[in-house]
Amino acid sequence: MSGVAVPRPWSGFYWLCRRECHRVLKLWTQTTLAPVVSSLLFIVVFGLSLGGRINEVQGFPYEVFIVPGLVAMAMAQAAYSNNASTIYQGRSDRFMDDVLASPMHAWQMNVGYLAGGAFRALIIGGALAALAVPITGAPVEQPLFLLVAVLLLVAGFGALGTIVGVHAESFDHTSFINNIVILPLTFLGGVFYSVDSLGSPWEQISHANPLFYVVDAVRYGFLGTSDVGAPISFAVLAAMTLGLLAWSQHLFTSGRKLKP
Amino acid sequence: MEASANPALRLRGLTKRYDDGTLALDALDLEVPAGSFFGLLGPNGAGKTTLISAVCNLIRITDGEALVFGRQSGTLEARRQIGIAEQEPNLDRFLSVRETLVYHGGYYGMERRAAEERAEQMMEVFDLRAKRDVRAPKLSGGMKRRLLLARALLHEPRLVILDEPTAGVDIELRHELWRYIRRLHEQGTTILLTTHYLEEAEALCGEIALIGGGRIIARDSADGLKQRYEADNLEQVYLKTVASGRLAEGVA
Ligand SMILES: Nc1ncnc2c1ncn2[C@@H]1O[C@H](COP(=O)(O)OP(=O)(O)OP(=O)(O)O)[C@@H](O)[C@H]1O
Ligand SMILES: [Mg+2]
Repeated sequence: MSGVAVPRPWSGFYWLCRRECHRVLKLWTQTTLAPVVSSLLFIVVFGLSLGGRINEVQGFPYEVFIVPGLVAMAMAQAAYSNNASTIYQGRSDRFMDDVLASPMHAWQMNVGYLAGGAFRALIIGGALAALAVPITGAPVEQPLFLLVAVLLLVAGFGALGTIVGVHAESFDHTSFINNIVILPLTFLGGVFYSVDSLGSPWEQISHANPLFYVVDAVRYGFLGTSDVGAPISFAVLAAMTLGLLAWSQHLFTSGRKLKP
Repeated sequence: MEASANPALRLRGLTKRYDDGTLALDALDLEVPAGSFFGLLGPNGAGKTTLISAVCNLIRITDGEALVFGRQSGTLEARRQIGIAEQEPNLDRFLSVRETLVYHGGYYGMERRAAEERAEQMMEVFDLRAKRDVRAPKLSGGMKRRLLLARALLHEPRLVILDEPTAGVDIELRHELWRYIRRLHEQGTTILLTTHYLEEAEALCGEIALIGGGRIIARDSADGLKQRYEADNLEQVYLKTVASGRLAEGVA
């Protein structure tokens, strides 16, 4: 008599991914339109207006140079804030219980919740690239590396969002981390300038900033150049993403904080 | 019908201490036979919701074990068997009534078509048709409760757990609900119910456990309990056993 006599192990995962994407689309003006518009404003205001007065950076016109960093920043913030808020809401309104009680593996919950942030970040990144590349004439030199960098970035920052969403005691905590950690570190990570040009000690200090490698890896995908060498940037980015994924997975596996 | 030797629920030494130190379940033992209509009664803070949460993978168990039809609680096999309507309505604020049901079916492994058909059925049963495209936050309190119940039953679980399902529900739905749940029970579904309406429990439940301070105080049929405590009705039994000392003395 049971309607679920035959286990369908992927069903719950599929519906959770779908739920997360559904949420992004329901809120699409906030979740996707707003970030695309604000990043585009950066490109227009900083790139096209100041660009004429700034010398080339690493052999690229300024408005081209800033495109990869802005795309990376917009995607990282989207993946992060999407997951932080969806997890926080699910926890505080307790509708996450419907997922926690369902026959889903812990890893399916972890990855399923990442799907929304990834979906949102990819829409934003795609739209931004589609607009910025023709406007500025920025190239895409290494599409394959760009894809890898973007996937690592999206997974890593989504996982960071999950971690913060699980630990946050109030909704403000989630935006606090964004404003106090992610945003400044991306700015300082060389979105608007080449860290090379800073000189000691700021160049060395910048290399301690993990966001620097994120920007650098994405810039390598677009422009084919890197401050520290693509292998180093990709290695740091991959290590960071794996670490964050392992952490968010641990939260779902152990149930700490998610389950009283 | 499933000829299952295992009880629907077997709790052994089940203990839950929350992170703030509250001991909500104190080495509790309980068996809920398969196919029974089982009432779990006790005062506020007795541990009813905690017990249910422990069974449904919603809290971390401190010690002891809970078996659902012989499967360790928390395993996918155990979770698949249970449908739970929690005490506090917890509905996804981004989903409409219909979507709430269909997505739930998906989480529990139903095929899309089957989940959609079943969602229509449940909306009919709980009189939610007119609100099918309304999002959960815009439902009235009683309608939220209806949706919660519809969701719990959607995937046709073998064990249905209802935590105070009739709080805030109008009389008509209450009758509807009990008629429907009775029929489910007759078809072999195990029902575990908590309620503060003792007449309701007396009328419905074949077996009753009284819980207080995280322990089972007494467990029997309603008649058995009345005999044992020389009471005319369940309310008197309740007052003599699990009610706080002050009230109980006043009645005795
Ligand atoms: N998340 C939590 N953290 C700490 N203590 C909790 C938590 N949830 C419940 N408790 C405590 O555990 C005890 C049992 O609570 P529980 O919710 O299980 O009671 P109940 O029998 O369902 O009561 P009610 O009839 O009011 O619903 C209470 O002392 C309560 O304060
Ligand atoms: Mg309760």
